[in-house]
Amino acid sequence: MILSNTETVPGKQITRFFGVVSGSTVRAKHIGKDIMAGFKNIVGGELKAYTELIAEAREDAVGRMVREAESLGANAVVNIRFSTSSVAQGAAELFAYGTAVTVE
Amino acid sequence: MKFDPSLPEDGINVSRTHPLREALLLVGGVAAIALAVAAVAAVSVDLVAPHIPIELEVRLFSGWFDRAVEADAAVDPREQSLAELLGRMAGHWPESPYAFEIAIWDVPEPNAVALPGGVIAVTHGLLENVESENELAFVLGHELGHFRHRDHLRGLGRGVAFSLLLVAVGVGGGGSAVELASLAGEFAQRGFDREQEIEADRFGLALLAAEYGHVAGAEAFFEHLPELGGPGEGALASYFSTHPLHADRIQALQATAREMGWALRGEHRPLPALSTPR
Amino acid sequence: MDTQVELGVRLGISLALLVLAYFTGAAVERRHYASIRKRELRWRSLPAITFRSVPPSWKVTESGLITGSVVISVDYFKRFLAGLRAIFGGRIKAYESLLDRARREALMRLKQQAVEGGYHAIVNVRLETCRMANAGNSESIAGLEVLAFGTGVKLLNAP
Repeated sequence: MILSNTETVPGKQITRFFGVVSGSTVRAKHIGKDIMAGFKNIVGGELKAYTELIAEAREDAVGRMVREAESLGANAVVNIRFSTSSVAQGAAELFAYGTAVTVE
Repeated sequence: MKFDPSLPEDGINVSRTHPLREALLLVGGVAAIALAVAAVAAVSVDLVAPHIPIELEVRLFSGWFDRAVEADAAVDPREQSLAELLGRMAGHWPESPYAFEIAIWDVPEPNAVALPGGVIAVTHGLLENVESENELAFVLGHELGHFRHRDHLRGLGRGVAFSLLLVAVGVGGGGSAVELASLAGEFAQRGFDREQEIEADRFGLALLAAEYGHVAGAEAFFEHLPELGGPGEGALASYFSTHPLHADRIQALQATAREMGWALRGEHRPLPALSTPR
Repeated sequence: MDTQVELGVRLGISLALLVLAYFTGAAVERRHYASIRKRELRWRSLPAITFRSVPPSWKVTESGLITGSVVISVDYFKRFLAGLRAIFGGRIKAYESLLDRARREALMRLKQQAVEGGYHAIVNVRLETCRMANAGNSESIAGLEVLAFGTGVKLLNAP
């Protein structure tokens, strides 16, 4: 599966396109990490647990988007965008969406 | 470039776990954590409590409950005779480092509490429902037993330790999660209290035997306590009650009395002008 | 005794609410999904794509901005599950259907506006989310707003 956030896949021709495919996820870290992040917040710096959380959420969401594209028979997703929100405290929510296409 | 109107497979973005399964798993996990936390808090406080010097305890807590004592002393003539009885009972525990005080609380439920610093609080409900001096002496002896084993500090310490830990857990969890955890913790704590009660009974019994030569007051006290609106019978009632069901305690009392050769029957002394409320 | 009764009553109320929310929440969700699937099938031939420009073969006569938005909330039971899940970490499965429903509903409303405006396709589709009132308060409304927007195009030839 080719993923891209540009209009086209460089060097390839889009022969067929489908609608929007998307993946979404909500994830949290366990409470211990939340508490540690709270302490870290006092001195500042990278909150590693949360960086990790975002990375996990991104993988999760992209993975689901790819599965949607696969279920259509597409071999690439182009023009991918991310969007975040926050329903729950300390949770990462991510939308990944793009257009499923077949390239040759 | 051709458009294909197919729809992607449905349900990719939602986990297939059944919500009830998830609920069961999570509730079980939280309950297990809360029980573990309660156990750790209880054990650590049990380890520390006996090593807190009594002078420190008295200094720390003197004044906390004094006001209650004075407020009632002015209006309640029963206080003096109670203090006198307490003095006699404490006299059989000569190595006691406390200077005990009595407080009378205007509470309808029959109860007595051992408070840090050497204060024993008894409620109006209790005073109005005991029928002889022996019974009252047993209650005071029981509370002295709590001081003897430093249970009053343990109870306080456990409560504080557990709530602190809960606050820590509550930082990120939802309100209902904390409620659930505190409930589980409460159950665990009640479980630990049962043994303390039976130990305190044993101590009270010894004081009773030393004062009167028999332990008649103890059994009599329990025999009519159920009438005072205590919890109903059954496993749940037993667990929900701070004090183990009376049948359990009476059985333990009888066993102790037999073992030590204390007479379970004997003459009851009348109450020292306690039963007439002001 | 009083505190025990009070504890029991509070627990009973919470439990009753949970049971009620579980059944009603599941019914609401089932109905919503049925409606979403129906509309997805009906408007499947109207392309909604994230390309910034129209495919070269399309002959566009007219275009305009269209939007679709929705705010939905989860039931008490799912909020309870999510609160517990936050302790252990991992996927908050209880909220996944919320995100899924909100996104698909917003897209369907976008398509509905396109149909009503007489557009034949939507390009440059974007999704934005935001959180409703009381952010940061644990008693807050766990509502999710999704805004879908794009450019509707009218075509001479069918896509």
